[in-house]
Amino acid sequence: MTAIKIFGRAILTTFLVAIVLSFAATPTFAQQETPPPPAAPRSPVLPVPVEKVMTNGLRVIVVERTTAKGGMPLVSAQLFIKNGGEVDPSNLSGLANLTAALLTEGTATRTAPQIAQAIEALGGSLDARARWDASSVNLTIMSSKLTPALAILADVVRHPAFKDEEIERQRQQLLDQLSVALRQPGALANAVASRVLFGETPYGHLLTGTPETIKRITRDDIVKFHATYYRPDNAVLVIGGDIKAADAFKLAEKLFGDWQKTPGMIPTVNTSAREAITKFKPRVLVIDKPDAGQAAVLLVRPGLPRKDPDYFRAVVTNAVLSGFSGRLNQEIRIKRGLSYGARSVLETRRDIGPFIASAQTKNQTGAEVASLLMSELKRLSDEPVNDTELTPRKATLIGGFGSSLETNAGLVGQVAALALNNLNLDEINHYIANVQGVTAGDIQKFAGARLGTDASSIVIVGNASAFLDSLRKQFPNVEVIREADLDLNSPTLRKSGGDSSQMKP
Amino acid sequence: MRRLHGMPLILFVIFLLSGHALVPTVSAQTSVPRLNFKDRTLSNGLRVISAEDHSSPTVAINVWYHVGSKDDPEGRSGFAHLFEHIMFKSTKNMKSEMMDRLTEDVGGMNNAFTADDMTVYYEVIPSNYLETLIWAESDRLATLNVNEDNFKSERAVVEEEFRQSYATPPYGKLRLLTEQKSFTVHPYRRPGIGSIEELEAASLDDVRAFHNTYYRPDNATLIIVGDFDQKQLDAWVDKYFARIPKPSAPIPRITAKEPERTSEKRYTEYGTNVPLPAITLTYLAPPEASDDAFALTVADAVLSNGTSSRLYQSLVYNQQLAQTATSVLDLREDPALFLFRVILASGKKPEDAERSVLAEIKRMQDEPVTAAELDKAKNLLVTAQLRERETNNGKAQALGNAAVLLKDPNRVNTDIERLQKVTAADVQRVMRKYFSDTNRVVIYYLPQSMKPAASAANMNEKKQATDDKAGARR
Repeated sequence: MTAIKIFGRAILTTFLVAIVLSFAATPTFAQQETPPPPAAPRSPVLPVPVEKVMTNGLRVIVVERTTAKGGMPLVSAQLFIKNGGEVDPSNLSGLANLTAALLTEGTATRTAPQIAQAIEALGGSLDARARWDASSVNLTIMSSKLTPALAILADVVRHPAFKDEEIERQRQQLLDQLSVALRQPGALANAVASRVLFGETPYGHLLTGTPETIKRITRDDIVKFHATYYRPDNAVLVIGGDIKAADAFKLAEKLFGDWQKTPGMIPTVNTSAREAITKFKPRVLVIDKPDAGQAAVLLVRPGLPRKDPDYFRAVVTNAVLSGFSGRLNQEIRIKRGLSYGARSVLETRRDIGPFIASAQTKNQTGAEVASLLMSELKRLSDEPVNDTELTPRKATLIGGFGSSLETNAGLVGQVAALALNNLNLDEINHYIANVQGVTAGDIQKFAGARLGTDASSIVIVGNASAFLDSLRKQFPNVEVIREADLDLNSPTLRKSGGDSSQMKP
Repeated sequence: MRRLHGMPLILFVIFLLSGHALVPTVSAQTSVPRLNFKDRTLSNGLRVISAEDHSSPTVAINVWYHVGSKDDPEGRSGFAHLFEHIMFKSTKNMKSEMMDRLTEDVGGMNNAFTADDMTVYYEVIPSNYLETLIWAESDRLATLNVNEDNFKSERAVVEEEFRQSYATPPYGKLRLLTEQKSFTVHPYRRPGIGSIEELEAASLDDVRAFHNTYYRPDNATLIIVGDFDQKQLDAWVDKYFARIPKPSAPIPRITAKEPERTSEKRYTEYGTNVPLPAITLTYLAPPEASDDAFALTVADAVLSNGTSSRLYQSLVYNQQLAQTATSVLDLREDPALFLFRVILASGKKPEDAERSVLAEIKRMQDEPVTAAELDKAKNLLVTAQLRERETNNGKAQALGNAAVLLKDPNRVNTDIERLQKVTAADVQRVMRKYFSDTNRVVIYYLPQSMKPAASAANMNEKKQATDDKAGARR
């Protein structure tokens, strides 16, 4: 029974883990006080994942955090498939998403309401979704109720029914949700940015699909997608929290041991991001949405894959820009009051992911924010980061990582992300050293070589009349597409002919 | 070191032979581990609640000020929230944003939120910085000192927050309308985010007056949860907080009483950028501290917690009238709201959605909920509590809510038992008591395209067109 919490100071949340750092003492003036200095830090104890591969190829990873070690009597579990939206056929974008959404909507032995009833009676819920490179079902439950809850999770992954009635119901829900989501300038700008960056290659489409592609997906497509990718040797089960590893392995064996390995190989995937990136031509694109309450301003450019040797250099570089006290928020929010929050996200994927810096601002200041995003990116390669700035940014990063491990669901998510990318699970315990090892010189070099503004596009969704003139002064080649003429299925993003039959009223 | 937290939990694990493997199975109820804490009040009125937990080398600090949006000065709606932002600016001893230097820069975090009844500032930090942050929190309580430039730039940030959270999302304006139309007398009728005009009217003098009036030790509760030594903590709190004087003036309190509703009120509003119609129904509910809050909490869970809940099953799954259908028990210190929010599915009529919500309410009034539903609701609520308490900050917020709004921090331990005792008859009783036809406000929030044109002929034409389109899309 908690009150509804409203209006945070910041939408960003970052956190903890002990860091040795002393801030410069403020000079003492008459009657002025300086903050008391910190005591000696205590080191965190990070959990150690253990794992097994079952004979059918299912990899099972367990991270113990029992009540004896101060944990709550809860367990989180995630079963993920190593493919998601990147394997959607180009004319059927949203297939992975619809397949995942339908898992919980009926199995061979349970109807959709029975699944919901059964899992919620135990106090939990199943969250099934597809993302880039993976599809997953997540669960957090009281540890005393793990056995029946995980049995339901196993059932929905292994025996989904994909009944026509449920497919139609989900399809209609998705279409309605999309009609709301795409009215948000921020969501629309992100969808446009994916096309701008990845064109027609697999990461270019909307993960949910568009109204046109969602309507095209058939039951056969879904059944085939499930049969192709949902197989034990293409799956990983991660269990974390209040359970002994030995018990977790036994439970996994019981629920997944007889999951048959599909004959044949798992299809190889070519996301072609690299190919898209070589063809990538920077654009300055405005989607004119006259009814927008704010302009969403994005800078988008190629980032890097998760397994890139520059990964930690990229992560620290991004931390200089992003976070509450990062440069973008300093310049755009704190100094100028232009936005509630500015940030950048370096989303690494199995292949090259996007780098996106963004802020929402009143329509009149859309162009000013766009040039600030550009100039802050440029500054990273123009001049080295001072250590008095860099050290706190590293601390923020390490603290944020520590906090992400605080809950069982967060812990399972971090371990799953490593497993998805075939990285050593022990990396959890080297995170601090990896971050601390990055120098100011590394950042400048990395930013110059791989985060330059020359390969960056600007996307603004907003009321163009308020900012177009000033935008054109900075960028001569501005393209403008009216919201009504936008086609997210096309790499040009423009509707071809005058066909507006698929438009919403 | 003493270990106060982590009490024995009732967890019986039975092994049974099943298939070819020995596996642990259910039985058993899991209870929420007891949260032990120390509660003391300094002579200047500051209440200090602390709970030691050494499972990670971090500590969460909360300062709950018993002042919220309902205390916004006249003509200054949104002020309490704007003031919350200003608390991160300069003090006599700290430069602007120094709270970020002391938290974020050392691997911690900070944030704050403003609600109707309180304003909460919080930090999570590596535990060796605890003394530093106790000093910093005491400093901004005692010596806030903001200049005009800082004030104006932060006010601009809050205006962008208004645009981002309310002016831009398709149903943002409906959230403002819900507050405005649900209360007639009580200041809860003014949305806490305020309006651009009233934010623009705020001045630095308002900031000073608000700080003097409400930011005082006897209006604050300090909560510390995590890795600390009790004796050491008490000494630091005494050193930095006890020196702040308690003002002699009384703290102003809202005395406005929201009258009972005597007849249903209906409103229809239109918005641009609204793809599908939405409806909101609100009922006045009792304050959070009321005994009926327990049964209402269970009723809320039966109605809309999860996809097996009654509203989801009826409106979203079976009838496919809605894309979302939820109830919200928005508990407050003074009369609260029990809300129903529906965003329609395409081609469906708001009248049908309203009728279905009312039918579900009536069903709750006519027949007791089943034993299985009652049990399910309680399991969902217990799991949510356990999840809240996975973190030190979650525990601190639970303690703050109990101490400040419920007036008894030990309710973090006793409420769960009272929730478990709620019966089907209790749920039926509160459904009958609060969900009368005369206690209802209904808001239809519709796409601009549905707005009737001036003449009746036009109106009919337009309606026809809308119906056709809706039919075609199905």
